[in-house]
Amino acid sequence: MAHAAQVGLQDATSPIMEELITFHDHTLMIIFLICFLVLYALFLTLTTKLTNTNISDAQEMETVWTILPAIILVLIALPSLRILYMTDEVNDPSLTIKSIGHQWYWTYEYTDYGGLIFNSYMLPPLFLEPGDLRLLDVDNRVVLPIEAPIRMMITSQDVLHSWAVPTLGLKTDAIPGRLNQTTFTATRPGVYYGQCSEICGANHSFMPIVLELIPLKIFEMGPVFTL
Amino acid sequence: MAAPPEPGEPEERKSLKLLGFLDVENTPCARHSILYGSLGSVVAGFGHFLFTSEIRRSCDVGVGGFILVTLGCWFHCRYNYAKQRIQERIAREEIKKKILYEGTHLDPERKHNGSSSN
Repeated sequence: MAHAAQVGLQDATSPIMEELITFHDHTLMIIFLICFLVLYALFLTLTTKLTNTNISDAQEMETVWTILPAIILVLIALPSLRILYMTDEVNDPSLTIKSIGHQWYWTYEYTDYGGLIFNSYMLPPLFLEPGDLRLLDVDNRVVLPIEAPIRMMITSQDVLHSWAVPTLGLKTDAIPGRLNQTTFTATRPGVYYGQCSEICGANHSFMPIVLELIPLKIFEMGPVFTL
Repeated sequence: MAAPPEPGEPEERKSLKLLGFLDVENTPCARHSILYGSLGSVVAGFGHFLFTSEIRRSCDVGVGGFILVTLGCWFHCRYNYAKQRIQERIAREEIKKKILYEGTHLDPERKHNGSSSN
């Protein structure tokens, strides 16, 4: 989960998120250099003694400052498109979970191997145990295996919501009347948090998502299905 | 980003962020690129000044040198880092396969020895 005043990305828990972090670092370095150049140009503008008001054209400079940004954009677009297509790769998911957004809770359905359906409400502050996270912990977590491709089918029963888990690099809109699909493969066990990411009413900030990722061997023993 | 410190652990130092957003310490290759870029900037700018004695133009050359050297080091380092990550991933998968299939007909070492003896 994020810690207080965290600005950067959370550590990656899926290969896609690792790629996104790499892309983010790459783009941030380009942005830093452009900002540095602009700051220097600003400094020069503010400290110059030149006062020529008769400059009419500067063809070479105009060519440079057209071609160079185009090259920079290509340098950013190519890795971006690569990751975009990577997220759409078909990887034969082992498990399909349905996630349905409501005002203001999530419903999860494990229908592959039975009919497990449950709601996931945020724990009110009065019901928190010591060690629980305020506004993040829920009564029923989504328990999933690691190192297995998982398909999430996301929809909503009322208004727009968005199912987001930053550490997995996932954010998918829950739209009433539409089924959106996202797939992921978690690489390490743990408890990971997310929050609804589409404004959906008074308690939009109080419908978190909690994934409990466990080793496949333990998942197969059926802790989920003994609820 | 690193996980928050547990109670009792020493507090982490605040990471250095250039221009307020580039986390030099936690971004792989950033510190290396910025340092080499600074060195390149000083060498280019000072070298230009030694030859021409023009201060403003030398500053421009210095800034240009910083940008070019930083970019060059950055791409070179990131390319090697990506290659290293791929090799680490392959090694991890092979170790996992070896542990899972050791002693069976799917043992990667048996397949490799079989093909090399042929």
